[in-house]
Amino acid sequence: MSPQSLTRPVSGKSRSRAVQRRVMDHLATGMSWCATFIVVFVLGSILWTLIKNGLPGLSLTLFTHSMGAPGAGGGLANAIVGSLLQTGLAILLGAPAGLLTGIYLAEYGADSALARTVRFVSDMLLSAPSILIGLFIYMVLVAPLGHFSGYAGSVALAILAMPIMVRTTEDMLRLVPVAMREAGIALGAPKWRVTLFICVRAARGGIMTGVLLAIARVAGETAPLLFTSLGNSEWSLDMQRPMASLPVAIYQYAGSAYQDWMQQAWTGALLVTMGVLIINIVVRVGIRGGRT
Amino acid sequence: MNVSATQPVPVDGVKPRAGTRFTGDPLFKALVVATGIGVLLVLGAIIAVMSIGGIPAFKAFGLRFLITAVWNPVTQHFGAAAPVFGTLASSALGLIIAVPLAFGTAFWLTALAPPMLASVIGMAVQLLAAVPSIIFGMWGFFVLVPPMAHYVQPMARHLFGHVPGLSALVSGAPFGTGLLTAGLVLAIMIMPSITAVMRDVFTSMPTVLRESAYGLGATRWEVMRQVVLPWSRQGVVGGIVLGMGRAMGETMAVTFVIGDSNHIGWSLFAPANTIASLIALEFPESPAGSLKLASLMALGAILMAISFVTLWCSRVLLARGEAQAGKRS
Amino acid sequence: MQADTITAGQDVAEASRPLAIQVRNLDFYYGKTRALHDISLDFPERSVTGMIGPSGCGKSTLLRVLNRMYDLYPGQKATGEVLYDGQNILAPGVDLNLLRSRIGMVFQKPTPFPMSIYDNIAFGIRLHERVSRSEMDGRVEDALRRVALWGEVKDRLQASATAMSGGQQQRLCIARTIATRPEVILLDEPTSALDPVSTARIEELLDELKTEFTIAIVTHNMQQAARCADQVAFFYLGELVEVDSTARMFTNPRESRTQDYITGRFG
Repeated sequence: MSPQSLTRPVSGKSRSRAVQRRVMDHLATGMSWCATFIVVFVLGSILWTLIKNGLPGLSLTLFTHSMGAPGAGGGLANAIVGSLLQTGLAILLGAPAGLLTGIYLAEYGADSALARTVRFVSDMLLSAPSILIGLFIYMVLVAPLGHFSGYAGSVALAILAMPIMVRTTEDMLRLVPVAMREAGIALGAPKWRVTLFICVRAARGGIMTGVLLAIARVAGETAPLLFTSLGNSEWSLDMQRPMASLPVAIYQYAGSAYQDWMQQAWTGALLVTMGVLIINIVVRVGIRGGRT
Repeated sequence: MNVSATQPVPVDGVKPRAGTRFTGDPLFKALVVATGIGVLLVLGAIIAVMSIGGIPAFKAFGLRFLITAVWNPVTQHFGAAAPVFGTLASSALGLIIAVPLAFGTAFWLTALAPPMLASVIGMAVQLLAAVPSIIFGMWGFFVLVPPMAHYVQPMARHLFGHVPGLSALVSGAPFGTGLLTAGLVLAIMIMPSITAVMRDVFTSMPTVLRESAYGLGATRWEVMRQVVLPWSRQGVVGGIVLGMGRAMGETMAVTFVIGDSNHIGWSLFAPANTIASLIALEFPESPAGSLKLASLMALGAILMAISFVTLWCSRVLLARGEAQAGKRS
Repeated sequence: MQADTITAGQDVAEASRPLAIQVRNLDFYYGKTRALHDISLDFPERSVTGMIGPSGCGKSTLLRVLNRMYDLYPGQKATGEVLYDGQNILAPGVDLNLLRSRIGMVFQKPTPFPMSIYDNIAFGIRLHERVSRSEMDGRVEDALRRVALWGEVKDRLQASATAMSGGQQQRLCIARTIATRPEVILLDEPTSALDPVSTARIEELLDELKTEFTIAIVTHNMQQAARCADQVAFFYLGELVEVDSTARMFTNPRESRTQDYITGRFG
């Protein structure tokens, strides 16, 4: 065979077929490059918009003053603190529940009918419309008590945080080698001690990842808070009363017609996004670098 | 485990040791089982509350609630048809836009990208998935809406406005908000998760299969089209359905750009409402015990039913895809 | 009939020693699959019993019956008798945690827990005893000295155990096991993941430990069995083919299948 025959097909028919195939391949890969480019472009556009519109509003006042009337030079301090409080309490409530459920699924339930149902329902909650969670909490915690509250907001967020913890806890516990469990059992340790002090310990890096992802997820949630903690323009640390949060403040301000409110909405959006993205980057880089 | 199912009988002649009689195992097991059941109860309670809360609406309007397109607080006349239509239409548009983008990106990430670039772009796509939905809403409202109003719709009307059959699709005043804009924002929102699922199922295919296809002289596209895609079909569909579930339940991203109008029509540019956006917008003006609130709850129940059925389908498809991958690899 | 001759032969070899564990007519099932057929075997006190045989012959399974590790897995079942301290440990109602504190186990791959070296040892002790801080320090040091690890780690007791070398980890696991003061130690191919130097150290260690503990070791390595064991049991396809003193087993086995395996004709 001459070297040429590799580049030049023998008969006329296969030549046109080869050309057709090559064109098709170029077309498909070209579109694929385009799709990727569009995606990267959109991500860039979102980040650029946030930075361009949000950065000019970044000032000390933002962190020291509570929300105020248009033109009154308010800040977002109460919203930031409100978000921290509600997210914190949501994790305190949701993470232990998710951890225990994850332990149940990985160590006790295995493949029983109950465990399969719990796993399925948890996955459902993971992608359930978050506004419905807010509506639900409104019906069971806000309407009967007669007032919106930071607690109600936290519970709504906790319901969103829990399934994330369930998923990561179960996945991470399943990565713990069987030999590790057996070694604990072989020492005469009861199962609960092996689970809590050996398996959970071995998986703690991954479980922490779950906590961080849960924080990142709920910190940016708006919809479940609209009908639960409602928002509050005053400084308040009382979780029994309506409470401000960054996403809800952004929602209120972004829909307004006032220049300074708009500015704060953008700056708030920049803060939330950066916080969430930084947590995600830490988690992903941590996964790649840290664990064995 | 039968560890302490019965009263433990000590092995004879053992040195006395503290703390071995009661192991705590039954207690801990009871705790984790109870928490697991708690998860079931939460979902059960959500379903129950939505359904019960919505009963007055069905009592007042009967099953016609489902097909009535009116939403009039003044006359106290409410129907679900318009927001249900808006939910389905905006999600469908979102999918039509998102799936090719997600597929193209997943194809690029798994077959075309230089390794360094693949990990960077892969990470960027993952990050896009983490951006809070309200940011997409703001971005859509401030960045996407103006060009939609000034360029896209006028151009579309110019091109298709006189074509029979297509003119209805582009009719209406150029607000910039509406179904298509909502679809675009939703597409951007759900694209990352669909991409992630596709990338996972593509890479879960055994390398030998891929290599043997290349070994036959297939091009990258032919390998994708004729080997990878058929092999991972169920997983791909599962990922798409998962994205659809997310799109239908999304609130904040849509609320900014949907235009808030309870109207059913052909135009891609007409303002509309989704169930979630209607709830977000109307809830603050719905006093407890009112028929309007009951109607919103009924809408919530409908949304939950729709999204759970979709999510259930996606779970089943993804699980089947995984089982298949396990069997074949 | 076969069981009788085996016990008879064994009695000749190890007649002088009292028996720590007696296995009588043991059958074992993984679900419906029978993995052990009518095993009867004695483990004399303070001596090393080596268990050899090709992969899947049931030797590890037998080991996991002795501390009822199989109980973790639904569908696994043992019938027959395993007499330990005058009691059948297969009977229901046995306190498994207590049993396992008296019959310790070391695994094929080192299994350090994700905690410090000190805590790895203290974990086992704390399970069964309440000891003061100073006594605990003494127990930890003692256990580490006995596996000749003290000199290597005494300055970094609080360092993570997972950062040690494989050989060190395995010695740590042995230390962890003996720290709970068991009477029997089961070893499941304890050196198969280790380099020759580490292997030699573990084998030396076994020689010292047998003055105090009853040891059962599963091994793939014929030389290891010859070096360490006082008596050797040969398993094949779930049956105990032959058991005898190490010297007799390797010089003059009674069964041709044993002969074939030892000389490397199969397995």
